[in-house]
Amino acid sequence: MMTTDQTQQTPVSNWEGGREPFKASYGKLMMWYFLLSDAFTFAGFLISYGALRFSSPTWPVPDFVFSSLPGGIHHKPLIFVTFMTFVLIVSSVTMVRAVQEGHRYNKKGVALWMTLTIVGGLIFLACQAWEWSTLMGKEHMTIHVNPFGTHIESGTYLDGDGHDVQKGDQFTAGKSYLIHKHGDEWAPLRYQTESGEIKQQQFGPKAFGALFFFITGFHGFHVFSGVVFLSIILVNVLSGIYANRKNHYEMVEKIGLYWHFVDLVWVFVFLVFYLL
Amino acid sequence: MSVVQQKNKETDPLIRDLGHDDHFHAHHHGDKYQTNFLTTYIFSQDHKMIARQYLITGIVWAIVGALMSLVFRIQLAYPDADVSWLKPFLGKWITLGTGGVGRLDPEFYYALVTMHGTILVFFVLTAGLSGTFSNLLIPMQIGARDMASPFLNMLSYWFFFLSSLVMMYSLFVSTGPFSGGWTAYPPLSALPQASSGSGAGLTLWLVSLVLFVVSILLGGLNYITTVLNLRTQGMTMWRLPLTVWAFLVTAIIALLSFPVLASGFFLLIFDRSLGTSFYLSDIFINGQALDRIGGSPILFQHLFWFLGHPEVYIIILPAMGIVSEVMSVHARKPIFGYRAMVYSMLSIGFLSFIVWAHHMFMSGVNPFLSNFFVIFTLIIAVPSAVKVFNWLTTLYGGNLRLNTQMLFCIGFVSMFISGGLTGIFLGNSTIDIQQHDTYFVVAHFHVVMGVAAFFGMFAGVYNWFPKLFGRFMNDSLGKIHFWLTIIGAYAVFGPMHYIGLGGVPRRYYRFDNFDAFRDFDDLNQFITIAAIVTFFAQLLFVVNFFWSIWKGRKLTEKNPYGSNSLEWTTPVKTIHGNWPDKLPVVQRWAYDYGKDGKEFIQQHKPMAEGEEDSSH
Amino acid sequence: MAHINYEAAKRVAYRGFVILGVVTIVEVFIALLGKGYIVEGFHLSRPVMYLAMICLSLYKAYYIIFEFMHMRYELPGLVRSVLLPTILLIWVIIAFFYEGDTWFHWRKSVQEIPAEMQLARPAGNAGLIPVQSADSTEAQEAVPADSSRPAGQVQPGHTH
Repeated sequence: MMTTDQTQQTPVSNWEGGREPFKASYGKLMMWYFLLSDAFTFAGFLISYGALRFSSPTWPVPDFVFSSLPGGIHHKPLIFVTFMTFVLIVSSVTMVRAVQEGHRYNKKGVALWMTLTIVGGLIFLACQAWEWSTLMGKEHMTIHVNPFGTHIESGTYLDGDGHDVQKGDQFTAGKSYLIHKHGDEWAPLRYQTESGEIKQQQFGPKAFGALFFFITGFHGFHVFSGVVFLSIILVNVLSGIYANRKNHYEMVEKIGLYWHFVDLVWVFVFLVFYLL
Repeated sequence: MSVVQQKNKETDPLIRDLGHDDHFHAHHHGDKYQTNFLTTYIFSQDHKMIARQYLITGIVWAIVGALMSLVFRIQLAYPDADVSWLKPFLGKWITLGTGGVGRLDPEFYYALVTMHGTILVFFVLTAGLSGTFSNLLIPMQIGARDMASPFLNMLSYWFFFLSSLVMMYSLFVSTGPFSGGWTAYPPLSALPQASSGSGAGLTLWLVSLVLFVVSILLGGLNYITTVLNLRTQGMTMWRLPLTVWAFLVTAIIALLSFPVLASGFFLLIFDRSLGTSFYLSDIFINGQALDRIGGSPILFQHLFWFLGHPEVYIIILPAMGIVSEVMSVHARKPIFGYRAMVYSMLSIGFLSFIVWAHHMFMSGVNPFLSNFFVIFTLIIAVPSAVKVFNWLTTLYGGNLRLNTQMLFCIGFVSMFISGGLTGIFLGNSTIDIQQHDTYFVVAHFHVVMGVAAFFGMFAGVYNWFPKLFGRFMNDSLGKIHFWLTIIGAYAVFGPMHYIGLGGVPRRYYRFDNFDAFRDFDDLNQFITIAAIVTFFAQLLFVVNFFWSIWKGRKLTEKNPYGSNSLEWTTPVKTIHGNWPDKLPVVQRWAYDYGKDGKEFIQQHKPMAEGEEDSSH
Repeated sequence: MAHINYEAAKRVAYRGFVILGVVTIVEVFIALLGKGYIVEGFHLSRPVMYLAMICLSLYKAYYIIFEFMHMRYELPGLVRSVLLPTILLIWVIIAFFYEGDTWFHWRKSVQEIPAEMQLARPAGNAGLIPVQSADSTEAQEAVPADSSRPAGQVQPGHTH
């Protein structure tokens, strides 16, 4: 394809034209630059999250909010989301393996590892669905209401909620609480501060719930579309299209880049929502 | 006719002997992309056809947007005039008062201002300018058969078309198009009850712009990868015409800034449709506190202007590139300071990302933070001035051909200087306290990115019309168009600076309740008359454009201007794949004019014995 | 593309799994240790904890980009063209967070306004009280405690 040009006397650099300066096909470059621009989309969201969090007097503590496990287990902070992270890491590794098998032109290998990647993506989506439905259904956190709050001063509870808090329990500033619902009614507890004032639990910053569902939802949407693209490419792999192509399994490599990017974004979503 | 056909068949001997054979015909038995009317003219994957599509869509939008400006200019100059004659066009937005006196609905006035901004900024000066010329010139000037991905290129246009359709549709919904300003600041945009245009009109507006972002990203990815990977042999980066550099930098800016606008819009869509409070806090409607707290409207402004400021360079950089190229060709001189031009474009591109909050000095950004934005903003004057001086020195001592495209280039430089200088005023936060939201701002950005970018676009259209349609536009008509336009533009926007300094605020429906602004009534009327005249001068262009497509003087030679760049080595009647046989191999940079006693030396001509490469 | 041999590549993939897994566990461990879940009464100071978690996350990002996405094997030009633009985000982060902090202080200063000068606040919600700054006597006169006027009309300094 690249014939050398007889008029060139000097050693030819990659930038002389007629060749790929980064030794990468235009398709791969497009994927890289698309991911760069998608990174800016996520950066826009995550930085907005940061700005709103900085502007808020309190912010829910993640290891109090994300502490449920399937089967009615509570107070196991961050365990479930760590599992989700692992699912995504594993699916990233299987994707790496699929790309490596592609380099060996091993159709069966590619198909196997891609199938495992798709399964990983589906498990992640299922986990996210469970996490969302628990937060919405059991804890009543929605994009409008955030029942997770933190105390700004120390005091003593005047009521109990029948779950974790008994009448007379002491708490200190910074302690998290969750406002429960009785039937359709919110039941914020009353408490007495150390200075003797009687106050009621307040809802947490609304932005927390909305940002959480929005950003993890946007990430989940990426996972979902990744699963769809992976499935399409898996069908193509099985049909043998790529084996006959000039660039062989490059499509697998490109979708691999996308899939790793989804994992990469999760690193930061995990950081800002679950760790910090 | 036969001469043309003969010339068309003749292969350039330089390409025949020295060209690069990429086995074009072996890969393309016949033309699989252009088999029928639909694939040739509608769903075309040919970059030249897509360029034509962008250009004509842009022209349609420009006429719509300009007509809107005339309506609100009439309202500003003659608030008491009877405009019932507009009723056939605007329908219920003209209310008939006592005695059948027609008045422009105030709500619709704001809608017109908003739509004028949106249409001109996005649909005309982004898609119509960068979309047209990136598509036309990138493959032809770098010596490529087409874009890297012709299919995505086609999708890019059709997303733009879809976005256009949705925006056009929003003009006709019963509650009216969006009326909260093209910047769509919340809470006006976040609350559907804020104004009637904030309902369905804004929903469609947002959908349209999200589609537009998709179109820009698809286009931008294509432009970048094409410039990187598809340059023909010998076409190093330092041999690229400045147009291609400008399109490359534009595409990079677009790729990094539009996604952030999309994030801002997604959050806004959530606020509107799902009741979240990302941008809302402390809102009262009819004395009732709204249960929407904890967000910040300034957050949207930050996200918006993180696109918004780079956007003005997305608009002006292609114009700059076109002007540099056309000016050099018609001054018969190499562009002065080629590398300085490239570096200044790159630094403008970089700086455009760190200055966004200078649009927000008076809307609540922290005053301490403003200091940094002022400093960064004023630094932009440096690369801009480098470019201006390079254009002036290119003109100096040149053998100027004062044809229409050259006149528009000179007009561009004039406009860019005038508008750039007022930019230095506004970039200072202290002076901005006085000037913000006045007609001074309106005049500034219209001159520097509106009219200047239009001049670049006109220069490009007049210059490359033969490559687009195989015929020339009428030069005499073009010159009349130029002189009417530049005089008209200064007549419109010159006085606007003055009334802006007088404190007249923008986006007001009428001024007669304010004693302070009554003195400016005459000037407002003058501006309106000038605007109407200038608009009709543009019709000369439109007539010239469409007349010349079918009736213009025919292009009979490959290189009518004696230009160096590769698009003028393609056949007179353009073909799919651009070059019939081999691809030209580039031997020199694009600006060897007047070198060694030769008027011009085309890029694919080999270096003579002992000749120095001017690009080093 | 220049590639390491298949067996070595396979090892890279599985090593990547171990590294990313261990780093994630360390991050979660720091989070739980720092907030006193693991050793009763033991807390890490927030800056230390946050800095550690941010650094570890950046390391994870680096590992994913350079090993999984094969950035290590690309030419330096490609690496730069993809990674350098993200530098722009540093200034964005500084500016946005600084702004967030500003909004926080403004909200706090608004809350210090005596109750009789405030508009009625939304029922059932914490925190924010929607009135303008306290130092304008015009605003104070214009806004009785039970004012029914829209907030837009009481902006101090709005003298047109």
